[in-house]
Amino acid sequence: MAEEESQLEEFEQIDFLRDRHVRFFQRTLQVLPERYASLETTRLTVMFFAVSGLDVLDALDVIDRNNMIEWIYSLQVLPTEDQSNLSRCGFRGSSHIGIPYSVKGPGVLHPYDSGHVAMTYTGLTSLLILGDDLSRVNKQACLAGLKALQLEDGSFCAVPEGSENDIRFIYCAACICYMLDDWSGMDIQKAIEYIRGSMSYDNGFGQGAGLESHGGWTFCAIASLCLMGRLEEALSQRELDRIRRWCIMRQQSGFHGRPNKPVDTCYSFWVGATLELLDVFQYTNYEKNRNYILSTQDRLVGGFAKWPDSHPDPLHAYLGLCGLSLIGEPNLRKVHPALNITQRAFQHLQQLQQTWRDNAGTCT
Amino acid sequence: KLFLIVIVDSLVHWADLEPVPQDDGPNPVVKIAYSEKFSDVYDYFRALLKKDERSDRAFALTAEAIELNAANYTVWHYRRVLLQALQKDLREEMRYITDIIEEQPKNYQVWHHRRMVVEWLNDPSEELEFIADILSQDAKNYHAWQHRQWVIQEYKLWDNELEFVEKLLEEDVRNNSVWNQRHFVISHTTGYSSPAILDREVQYCLNQIRKAPHNESAWNYLKGILQDRGMSSHPGLLEQVLELKETHCSPYLLAFLVDCYEDALENNNQKETLNRALEVCEYLAQEKDTIRKEYWLFLQRSLESRFGPSAASGEPLADGTEPPAGQQELS
Repeated sequence: MAEEESQLEEFEQIDFLRDRHVRFFQRTLQVLPERYASLETTRLTVMFFAVSGLDVLDALDVIDRNNMIEWIYSLQVLPTEDQSNLSRCGFRGSSHIGIPYSVKGPGVLHPYDSGHVAMTYTGLTSLLILGDDLSRVNKQACLAGLKALQLEDGSFCAVPEGSENDIRFIYCAACICYMLDDWSGMDIQKAIEYIRGSMSYDNGFGQGAGLESHGGWTFCAIASLCLMGRLEEALSQRELDRIRRWCIMRQQSGFHGRPNKPVDTCYSFWVGATLELLDVFQYTNYEKNRNYILSTQDRLVGGFAKWPDSHPDPLHAYLGLCGLSLIGEPNLRKVHPALNITQRAFQHLQQLQQTWRDNAGTCT
Repeated sequence: KLFLIVIVDSLVHWADLEPVPQDDGPNPVVKIAYSEKFSDVYDYFRALLKKDERSDRAFALTAEAIELNAANYTVWHYRRVLLQALQKDLREEMRYITDIIEEQPKNYQVWHHRRMVVEWLNDPSEELEFIADILSQDAKNYHAWQHRQWVIQEYKLWDNELEFVEKLLEEDVRNNSVWNQRHFVISHTTGYSSPAILDREVQYCLNQIRKAPHNESAWNYLKGILQDRGMSSHPGLLEQVLELKETHCSPYLLAFLVDCYEDALENNNQKETLNRALEVCEYLAQEKDTIRKEYWLFLQRSLESRFGPSAASGEPLADGTEPPAGQQELS
């Protein structure tokens, strides 16, 4: 441990501008200019990046947690009186459909209102990070909505109206089931088959069968299997070793997502976390990784960008921090590599789940 | 004058509709500051959505909404509902979506929309050329390659794809997406089981490596097609690689060598093979791939532990001597 610390001191020439990043996330949570319009339907994921980012920075005290919790609950798609919309329940990404603000049920009947799997996932994680006990989450409705999204081949769509289907949404689904401690919302076996089917000839994972292997999809594959508790059941030791090799070859300075592509800050987390889940992150080069991530730091406005001298955005700001957390950057909270929340938030989840189990046990 | 026209237009054509604003409640989070024009379009969009109105004015408005935010999946879904309800000209829709994708080729919703229209028309005839055009602007666009694989598989358009792959590899032999496509095409057509095909592919790889030695994609492909077919048993391969090591070395070549030796050790644990493998790991760690130094040393230890003399048994022999080298590893 001491050796690691002095190593970090040696290459601390590029300084980490904590306060700038705190302010970057604070501004993100307030108002964004119109040029961010394309983020409208995914605002809840942007909130997650900022809130989890502040958690990693141990700076959650700068925001009004209760107000934020209320806003998240206003995005929950609740069952209507007659429960006819159960397969559409979950969380919305924002108020873009025009449902009047409400934090409690029953749900409002609307021909086009439904949850989105990535919003249900980031809604739940954000609530946890903010210290909420999920007592106002209609868990059964969320799981019914989730079940409706899984296809015959094991992958998931994002919304019940239909969308593209791939491994990203399996990851979202796995996170939801893990957090709610209830896997009835997915057919695990089919999901595992889809994941296995997405393994490429080069031992990384693509978005689906036949597709090019990619750091982001590899994270989704491995993290999902870890959350399911099926990593070693789904993949042999030989396969795991091959996947380790594919992942570790992604380091160039920082990490890239595909062979012969440029490095990008976010892969320091996607690939880094995968390597951590596979127990070999310790064999990467921390100094080069750190130097790259910090070279993408925006010294003026805070946050991180994919490349040096580029505009920072909430996703890269958050994942850049997570990448630094993985290598043990001082004063950053540790991140749970599969669930992608701090260990602190994870412990809160574990306590909640214990309470649920205790309560279930005492039910008559 | 244009301003007046817009006002009159909205009074005439939208007067019956009560616009629906977004409602984020008292404490909005990550609020986006829209201009009046933007809000107007979407306030009317929300009103139409609530009524589930199926009309030409609704269809026209979806185009406005898309122009302002092409990532809004609800708008695209509503547009598809209207396309069917109003029996719109799908050929015209193909032209429309072609333009949009050319402008915004990294958006998930636009590619999904195109796929739906192609399915409805049951006509993939424009797809390969269209995707080729998108790839000519960004040869690694993941959405484009995904759409291409879908079209080819769904409509069985395999015939000319290997030719397309070879053309793109000539343009950029390091394009990993193209190597992936090569594997996609061959595995779904001839497959790799025939020795003739396998050998052809191995030689193709080695030729590309001779031209551009520092190319992870080529080495990944080579290993990929051999790793479950016996890397060390392919005739003459090890010799060719050892030759290349002298003039066309790279970390990928050396890693491939280690994998060959590992494969050989699994079939026949020889001390000499193990030593060669350990040597290459050392060379990678100390000289040729130092960024992964710790990994290569870890691999070295792992090979030693699996195939080395101490691997033969967990304990020393009864007489205290070491078990002989080259002994089969106990599983």
